[in-house]
Amino acid sequence: MNSMPSDSASMSFVDRVVVPGDHVLDLTGMANQTIKLGAGLRQDGDAISVMKAGKLRISKPNKYWVESSHKRYVPCVEDTVLGIVVDSKFDNFLVDIKAPMLGLLPVLAFEGGTRRNIPKFEIGTLLYVRVVKANNTMNPELSCMDETGKAAEFGPLKDGYMFETSTGLARMLLSSPPCPILESLGKSLSYEIAIGLNGRVWVNAASPSTVILVSNAIMNSEFLSAAQQKIMVEKLMKRLQ
Amino acid sequence: MAPMEVDRADGRTSNQLRPLSCTRNVLHRAHGSARWSQGDTIVLAAVFGPKAGTKKEENPEKASIEVIWKPKTGLIGKVEKEYEMILKRTLQSVCLLTIHPNTTTSVIVQVVGDDGALLPCAINASCAALADAGIPLKYLAVAICCGLTGSRSVILDPTKIEEKKILAFAYLVFPNSPISVLPKGSLTEDSEPIEAGIITSVTHGAMPVVDYFNCLDRGYAACAKISEFLRRSMESQAPSDLTKTT
Repeated sequence: MNSMPSDSASMSFVDRVVVPGDHVLDLTGMANQTIKLGAGLRQDGDAISVMKAGKLRISKPNKYWVESSHKRYVPCVEDTVLGIVVDSKFDNFLVDIKAPMLGLLPVLAFEGGTRRNIPKFEIGTLLYVRVVKANNTMNPELSCMDETGKAAEFGPLKDGYMFETSTGLARMLLSSPPCPILESLGKSLSYEIAIGLNGRVWVNAASPSTVILVSNAIMNSEFLSAAQQKIMVEKLMKRLQ
Repeated sequence: MAPMEVDRADGRTSNQLRPLSCTRNVLHRAHGSARWSQGDTIVLAAVFGPKAGTKKEENPEKASIEVIWKPKTGLIGKVEKEYEMILKRTLQSVCLLTIHPNTTTSVIVQVVGDDGALLPCAINASCAALADAGIPLKYLAVAICCGLTGSRSVILDPTKIEEKKILAFAYLVFPNSPISVLPKGSLTEDSEPIEAGIITSVTHGAMPVVDYFNCLDRGYAACAKISEFLRRSMESQAPSDLTKTT
């Protein structure tokens, strides 16, 4: 029996829901090509097989990944996340980012940070940080600076309200063009929001009722389509008046 | 020898399973959860983790899995400890333990209803809950109970009343059937396709070897159907994508 041409066969699994154990790509026909594997895929001898249930996605020419939404986060480099300080050591803050391991935030990873002006974060402080190093065997390393060394909105988030969502909803809120729910809420209300790819969202506004409204609207919008989100926001605004 | 049709109390044929139902993400606080029911046997499984740290006896170079079995009534005794051990060994062979070393994943199994085939139902529920939590898995485990009646015929998925009357039964756990781009039979180990392997087999009572192999064949065929059901249940519960970003 001849082997199926891998190009047309692998295209048939793209955008389909795959479960752990499925073999989605045959490497025997791709001798000199480089393939980049993202989340949820691993190499199993001569085939690429699936580790997590989700939708198989491709970004041409050669990037494959499984898109799935969970309540825990797997750290990736250059992701921006919201972390909560759990402990402070001599040269690191221990920060919980909903990952299998605690993140480490060096005390000098702040703009203009020296040994003399180390920030004092209490246990429970919410921080907006960037993931600098992430691999599965070590604790992920975080930073409150961007690549050039500027503060760029990273750091502690004061006041406001933080709630937890799934990673899929966080990705949807961060998509560009802007997510319909955030746009329609922004047309009538003014609020400040910070979204972490690890499934944490922080909202701040002038009055507590606005904060509650925005938070509940976002939490309810996970499985709604764009049109349904707009309708939900219109209904909420009508009830306010 | 013509297969003897057994009269079962609920009118099923010997190869027929009870109605299956699987719901995932039922618990708000758990990182992954699933409720699996086969007829009146209902099991709720919750997964927490991976969380940092392992216990002293566990190998820190691998992730460890901890199983807690909660019976419907009564205190935890030897039966529950045995179920915990079997479930732990089964899940250890299904999960990829080297991806997140030095972490612990806790699986809590709560029995909601027990009407026979309890351990296979719990294994199916735990696997669905692990997939819901996003724990990396090699494949999904699919479990079934095969009973051997006095007339040497095999019945699948016995109820509690049937379990009391049969000679012996076996809980069998197989890997799920994958969809694959590879030509059939290319992944082999000792000229047997990988999908025909078996993960766990627990037997109660004594049965002749030839009948045990008969149970294996029937169980394998039935697990292919359960595997299809699991795949369809995952497809239907996958959230529809809202924005297509390229």
